[in-house]
Amino acid sequence: MTDPNDDFKTRLKIAKDKVKNSTRINNNNENSSFMGSAFKLGTDLIAAVAVGTIIGFILDSWFDTKPWLIILFFFLGSAAGILNVIKIAKRMQKKD
Amino acid sequence: MTTNPMHQFEVYRIGPEIKIAGIDLSFTNASLFMLISAVAICAVFFLGTKEKKLIPDKFQLISEIFYNFIAKMISDTAGSKAKPYFPFIFSLFMFVLFCNMLGMLPYSFTVTSHIIVTLIMAIFIFIAVTVIGFLKHGFGYLKLFVPSGVPNILLPLITVIEIISYLSRPVSLSVRLFANMMAGHTMLKVFGGFVISLGMLGGWLPLSFSVALTGLEILVAFLQAYVFAILTCIYLNDALNLHH
Repeated sequence: MTDPNDDFKTRLKIAKDKVKNSTRINNNNENSSFMGSAFKLGTDLIAAVAVGTIIGFILDSWFDTKPWLIILFFFLGSAAGILNVIKIAKRMQKKD
Repeated sequence: MTTNPMHQFEVYRIGPEIKIAGIDLSFTNASLFMLISAVAICAVFFLGTKEKKLIPDKFQLISEIFYNFIAKMISDTAGSKAKPYFPFIFSLFMFVLFCNMLGMLPYSFTVTSHIIVTLIMAIFIFIAVTVIGFLKHGFGYLKLFVPSGVPNILLPLITVIEIISYLSRPVSLSVRLFANMMAGHTMLKVFGGFVISLGMLGGWLPLSFSVALTGLEILVAFLQAYVFAILTCIYLNDALNLHH
């Protein structure tokens, strides 16, 4: 009959090795964070355009320059949206 | 029973009307479900931490998994400086997760499918992160808007673009959560309506779609809570470790 303590130690060792070698959990985590980034890309692109346009609209009604600032800030907002997407893409590449 | 897919988002009053200084503070079904999720979170963690066993039971296991998950997420994205903010991010994640998940139960109400709820959380995070940034770096925090290595002629343009990008954070944070939850729940209800209107003969196809969509919605409910928390960490990282 084997010593029950020994049996436990070998089982513990096997379990520890499993934890050390397992990349599955990590992979899963990466997967969900990539899916999160995918959700992020679309809204970040649109949100910046919306915010830019709203800022343009407010400034227009302040300075009475309709419609020039709203047009300008629409394009600035689009640029900001593309900037957002570039930032997310850079962060995604850094992870690899 | 109503077949209007938007009916599930209606907020109605429970109990007496309470008005203080012209502001309606009545208890609604939204407040009820916020309360239920807060109580549920407290119950899970109370049961999970009541007795610390070496071999954990179900509640202890769940609380340990959540704790490790958030702790790892914070140290991965925002570094060790963000450790003091762990309780806030943890409560935020748990609250969003429980609200999303409770919304998946039939006849329940999804608090996060209302933009006012998500927008308030996002604006609070936005203001908190900005204040933390200014407290840690003083006016040096404004360097966030001035990326290095940009020619002087382009600098005003780039700064304006960076400021718009910074201001778009709370909008994208809140709209993402709200839109995902609302779209998903509306879609479930629409497919449920198809089952009834097509009857015994044709109703099986939308019913199978409904089952698949329910699985997808549970994934989205978890994922959106995760995204909400991880973005808070990323914004916190920008405020704590300024490197641009």
